Amino acid sequence: MRLRLPLFCAAVALVAACTPGTGGGGGGDGKSFEFWSFSAINQKLSVDAYKQKHPDVEVKLTEVGSSVETAQALTTALAGGKVPDLVLIQGDDLPKFVQQPQNFVDLRTLGADDIKGDYLDWVFKQSVAKDGEVLGIPTDVGGMAMVYRTDLFAAAGLPTDREAVSALWPTWDDYIETGKRYTQQTGKAFVDNAATSVFYQAVNQVSQKYYDNKERKPVYDSNPEVRAAFDLGIKAATSGITAKQTSFETAWSAGMTQGQYATVAAPSWMLNSIRTTAPDTKGKWDIARIPGGSGNWGGSYLAIPKRAQNPQAAWNYIKEMQSPQGQLEHFGRVGALPSTPSVYKDEKLTTTKDPFFSDAPTGTIYTDSLLELKPFYIGPDSATIGQEFLNSITNVEQAGGNPATAWDDAVRNIKTAIGG
Amino acid sequence: MVAALTPVRPATPPPPAFGKTRGLGERLSPYAYIAPFFVIFAAFGLFPFAFTFYVALFDWNPIGDQEFIGTDNFVRMLGDPRFWNATRNTVSIWALSTIPQLLIALLLAHVLNNARLRFALFFRMSMLVPYVTSVAATAIVFVQLFDRDFGLLNWLLGLVGVAPIDFVQTTWGSHLLIAAMVTWRWFGYTTLLYLASLQAVPRAVYEAAAIDGAGPWQQFRHITVPSLRPMIIFTVVTSTIGGLQIFTEPLLVGTGGPQSCGVVRQCQTLTLFLYEQGFGQFQFGYGSAVGVALFVMVVAIAAINYLLSTRIKADR
Repeated sequence: MRLRLPLFCAAVALVAACTPGTGGGGGGDGKSFEFWSFSAINQKLSVDAYKQKHPDVEVKLTEVGSSVETAQALTTALAGGKVPDLVLIQGDDLPKFVQQPQNFVDLRTLGADDIKGDYLDWVFKQSVAKDGEVLGIPTDVGGMAMVYRTDLFAAAGLPTDREAVSALWPTWDDYIETGKRYTQQTGKAFVDNAATSVFYQAVNQVSQKYYDNKERKPVYDSNPEVRAAFDLGIKAATSGITAKQTSFETAWSAGMTQGQYATVAAPSWMLNSIRTTAPDTKGKWDIARIPGGSGNWGGSYLAIPKRAQNPQAAWNYIKEMQSPQGQLEHFGRVGALPSTPSVYKDEKLTTTKDPFFSDAPTGTIYTDSLLELKPFYIGPDSATIGQEFLNSITNVEQAGGNPATAWDDAVRNIKTAIGG
Repeated sequence: MVAALTPVRPATPPPPAFGKTRGLGERLSPYAYIAPFFVIFAAFGLFPFAFTFYVALFDWNPIGDQEFIGTDNFVRMLGDPRFWNATRNTVSIWALSTIPQLLIALLLAHVLNNARLRFALFFRMSMLVPYVTSVAATAIVFVQLFDRDFGLLNWLLGLVGVAPIDFVQTTWGSHLLIAAMVTWRWFGYTTLLYLASLQAVPRAVYEAAAIDGAGPWQQFRHITVPSLRPMIIFTVVTSTIGGLQIFTEPLLVGTGGPQSCGVVRQCQTLTLFLYEQGFGQFQFGYGSAVGVALFVMVVAIAAINYLLSTRIKADR
C-alpha cells in the first residue's frame, strides 16, 4: 500500500490540475479581479488611477504581450484553462470571438444597454453577436490621418502648412499625383508603402467592405468599392513613389529615421511609435487629413469571459474607466483616442497639442476623421481577406509581381484560405 | 512521496528459497522509481501525440464546435497549394542548409584534428558559440545584415556594382537567408561530432599515409571521409529531421502575414504552415492533419536511414 500512495496522489494531482476552475460563485466579492492587457500601451497608469479611487479593490494586471499574443493566450484559456476576469481584445481579433458568444458574459446582463448610447455606434456594433449579445465595450479608436515631414516637403517645393497640405489631396488620386511631383523633384520616395498607407486606408472608407452589410455574406470579390481601393493600391505600388518598406519592420524604422520617405498614414496610436522610433525627427513632422477625409484603424474592447470568477468587479471597472469622462482622462494619460463622441468637443481634448508634430491639435484632427465614418459589417474572415489583399499589393510593389493578375491572384488565395 | 524517501531495505537475510514469493512492494518498487518519467511522458508526450491523430479527423475550433468530418482535412490538405508550397520550401531550405553545413563541418573537423594545430582547444570550443546563441538574437542580426536598403551585405555588393538583392521578398533570397542562419547555428555542433569520431582514428594511420606520400587532400579523401561514414549518415538523418521542422527562423524573418513568412508564402515551412492554421486561423483539425503528414515524412526518412545503416554494416 505504501507504494501505491504516491502514484495515487500523482494521479489526483494531475486530474485536479486539469479540471477547469469551477465557475464564478455568484459574481465574486466585487473587491478583486484579474485583468489581461497588452504590453507597451501603459495600461498600468489607468489601473493605478482606479486603485487610487478604490483602495479596497485589488486589480491583478497581467501584460500578456502584443495584441495578437493576448488573443492567442485568451483562446487557450477559453479552451480549457484559467480565464481572467477582464481581458482587452484588439479590434482585428474580435470577430473570431464574436462568432463564439457562448465564451463570454453577455454584458447586457450587467447593464450594457444603459451605457450603449455613450459610444460611437459603428464601433459598439462590432462587439454585438448574432443574437444581440454584447460581448465587449470599446475602449478607444484609432482615427486616421496622414503624417508628413515638413522639412522634406519644403525641400521639394510643396506647402508645409497642415491646411494647405490637406488641400493637396482631397482624394487618393490627388495623393498619388502629389507623390509623383515629390519624387520627380527630389528623386526620393514619397510614402513608406502602398499596401498599408494607401490600400488599407482606402478600403476602410467604404460603405460596405468584405461582407454584405445585411446578409453578412462575403462579397469581397464582387464589391466595386473593394476593387477600387485595391486598384488605388496597385496604382501607388507601380508609380515609383513608395519606399517599399513594410510597416513596422526594422527597415521601416530605419527608413523613418533617415527620412527615406516623407509621408505615412498613421492612426493616433502610431504617433507614439513614430516618437520612439525616430526621436531625432522631433518637430519635423506635422499631421494632415487623410485623403478621402475620414477613416479608422485600430481600437480595442474590454470583455468578460463566461467562466470569470469576479465578473461584477470587472464590470465596475469597465463602467467607471470606460465612461466618457474615464476615456477622456485616459486620453490625457496615454493619448488613446476616446470611443465616446460626447467628449470630442471637450476642451481637454481640443486643446491638446503635440510638440513632436509641430504642435498639431491631435485631439481634433483624429476625432474629425471619425465623425463621417459609415459603419460596415466585419465578418469572421475579414482579417484573413484583408491580409491576402495586402500581400498581393506588396508582392507587386516589392517582389516584382504582375500588377495585371494581382487581383485574380488575391481572390484565388482568399478562396484557398477561407474555403469559399 | 513517503515511499520514495523510504530506503528499500537491502535483503539482509539471504534470499529466500526458490519459489517463495518476495514482498509485493519489493517487486513493484522499481516501477515506482521509473514512474515519474513515464507519467510525465504520457501526459506531455504520448497523449498530445495520439490526440493529434484524433483531432485531425475533426473540424475543431478550440473555443467553438468540434464536428467529426473523417478524412476531409487530409483531402483538403492534398489539394491545398499552400501545403505543397510549404513542402517545397522546407525541402529547398533543408538542402541549402544541410549540404553546405555538413561539408563545412567535415573540412573543419579535418583541420581541427591536425596534430600540429596550436590553441586547438580554443578553436574547438569557439565552434560552439553560434550554437549557444539564441535563435532570436541570430535572426535579428542576420535580417539586418541581409537588409535590402540598409544591410551590410548589400552595401558590400554595391561596392562591386551589384544591384541590391531583396533577401526577404524573393523566394531564393529568403531561402538563402534562412539556410545561412541554420548553417551558422549548427555547423559547430556537427563539426564537434565529426571531430569526436575522428579522434578515434589512430594517429598512426595518418602518419603512415604521410610517409607513403599522401598529401592533405588524399588523407582527407581516403582516411577522414571513410572513417566518418557512420557519423555522416547519422548527421544527415538528424539534420534532415531537424530540417523538416525549421520554424523559428522563418517565423522571425517573414514579413506580411505574421505566420506566412512573406507575401507569397515564399519561405513558409511546413511547421510554420501548421502553426498558422492551428494558432492563427484556429483550425486545430486542419493544423493537426498537417502535423500527421509531417510525422509520416519523418518516419519515412527514419526508415531510409535504417536501411542505409544496415547496408553499411553489411558492407564491412
